Amino acid sequence: MSWQAPPWRLMNAAERRRYWWGHWRLGVPVMTTVLMLFIMTVPLIVPAPIFPHLGLLAIFVWSTFQPGLLPAWAAFLLGLVADLLFGQPLGVNAVLFPMTAVFVRVFEARFGRHAHGFDWAVASATIIGFELLTWQFMAVAGKPVPLAPLGWQVLTSIAAYPVVVWVCGRAQRAAFGWGGPGTP
Amino acid sequence: MDWTPAPRRSSAMRREQNLALVGAVVSGAVIATGLLMLLVARVNPDGAARVRGVMLDLVTPVWSVVRAPFDGAGRAIDWTGDYLGAVDRNRALTAELAAAKAQLQRAAADRLALVRLQAIDKVREPQRLLLATARIVSATSGSVVRSAMIAAGSNDGVGPGLPVIGADGLIGRTVEAGAHAARVLLLTDPASRIPVIVQRTGQAGLVTGANHPMLELRDRVGADAPLRAGDRLVTSGDGGIFPPGVPVGTIVDASAEPPQVRPAATPVGAAFVMIESAYLPLPASAAPAEPGTPVPVEARRSGGTATSVPRPQSAPVSVP
Repeated sequence: MSWQAPPWRLMNAAERRRYWWGHWRLGVPVMTTVLMLFIMTVPLIVPAPIFPHLGLLAIFVWSTFQPGLLPAWAAFLLGLVADLLFGQPLGVNAVLFPMTAVFVRVFEARFGRHAHGFDWAVASATIIGFELLTWQFMAVAGKPVPLAPLGWQVLTSIAAYPVVVWVCGRAQRAAFGWGGPGTP
Repeated sequence: MDWTPAPRRSSAMRREQNLALVGAVVSGAVIATGLLMLLVARVNPDGAARVRGVMLDLVTPVWSVVRAPFDGAGRAIDWTGDYLGAVDRNRALTAELAAAKAQLQRAAADRLALVRLQAIDKVREPQRLLLATARIVSATSGSVVRSAMIAAGSNDGVGPGLPVIGADGLIGRTVEAGAHAARVLLLTDPASRIPVIVQRTGQAGLVTGANHPMLELRDRVGADAPLRAGDRLVTSGDGGIFPPGVPVGTIVDASAEPPQVRPAATPVGAAFVMIESAYLPLPASAAPAEPGTPVPVEARRSGGTATSVPRPQSAPVSVP
């Protein structure tokens, strides 16, 4: 499947305008992830990190749905936004988000077709690895955190995975139609 | 010697392979950049302060608006509860008021004596200065950092490193500030260090967070004097940020190591907090070494016969 230029000569002004403005769809994965990161700053003050890491889940899900629209550099920029938003040392999420995107891409290339339950298991493993690396990277950045409370976030994130899949699936259908990009 | 030439790839395939290679290189470069930024953050933790402030200014107003209806609902529930429990509370408060009045009589005499003693000793006490009162509008409940954002920033005189105090006690201190918003590091964050004294024994110590509902009391002076469950901890005023005497927490488990402390104030709910100026701010520059200061014996022995610091053109000698 290769991309083909639209037939300019056959389009009228309205169609050309619609074609150009339709490019906002390319930003749907990034915009959804930013929204998830924003939701993670909900004014719910808890003494332990128990809110699910929706940003990580969105990166994971969009890397499986639309790997072309969430390249590593976009995940890096999203990680910077997350670090600034959460007051973490710059670089913790900025490393882990692109690592997640690359991991999912490589993994999907190797084990492409599988069931939803298998995806959930892989997401769980990714979340556990993410929290372990967060623990290590916070220590590298000079702000060590205890490991045990991160277990709460692992549990809630695994539980929240289907919800994020549902939300991102709705966004994908709204933006790209039922067959995904490239199909009429 | 000859070898079979590589099969000629189609141009589409070449393009795909080149793109994949570029993508892999960019991904690796991006991850390497992030790791470099981690090391930079270790060396210079206060970098990107302005960008962080801008991010606070972008996020906080949205939550201020979004949370308004939830606040209203919470207040309605509070009012209902107040009506239902009014009689019981009235009786309890009447009894408490009688006891408090008696105590107030005794305290008035004590206060008079204290003022006289302070006048004799010429005690100068720094004044606490309220900078702003703001509400907590959002928090980082999904991150390893326990912080909250308040709707007051540098336009209200709020900068980093100021004490944040709630109605029941200490909430935390500000760490970043934008124009209209600031970030508060809460007591439960692992990076939080509060100098306290135990009110009953007068021992000094540090209260630290652990990403856990309970705080921990560390580095207590005179650890052989045992603590009791119920001992109150208040800020000691050491370090110059927090004013002395603000409630921090209560010991709930004295036998644990480190002792567990329940925080006095919780920032949960539609909480308003006060941001005060730093109690005794550190001077911007270190005091210069005075010329003519006597040099310790060890330095004199190793460094020659000079008995005092030479006046100009030499590195400052630290005086212990």
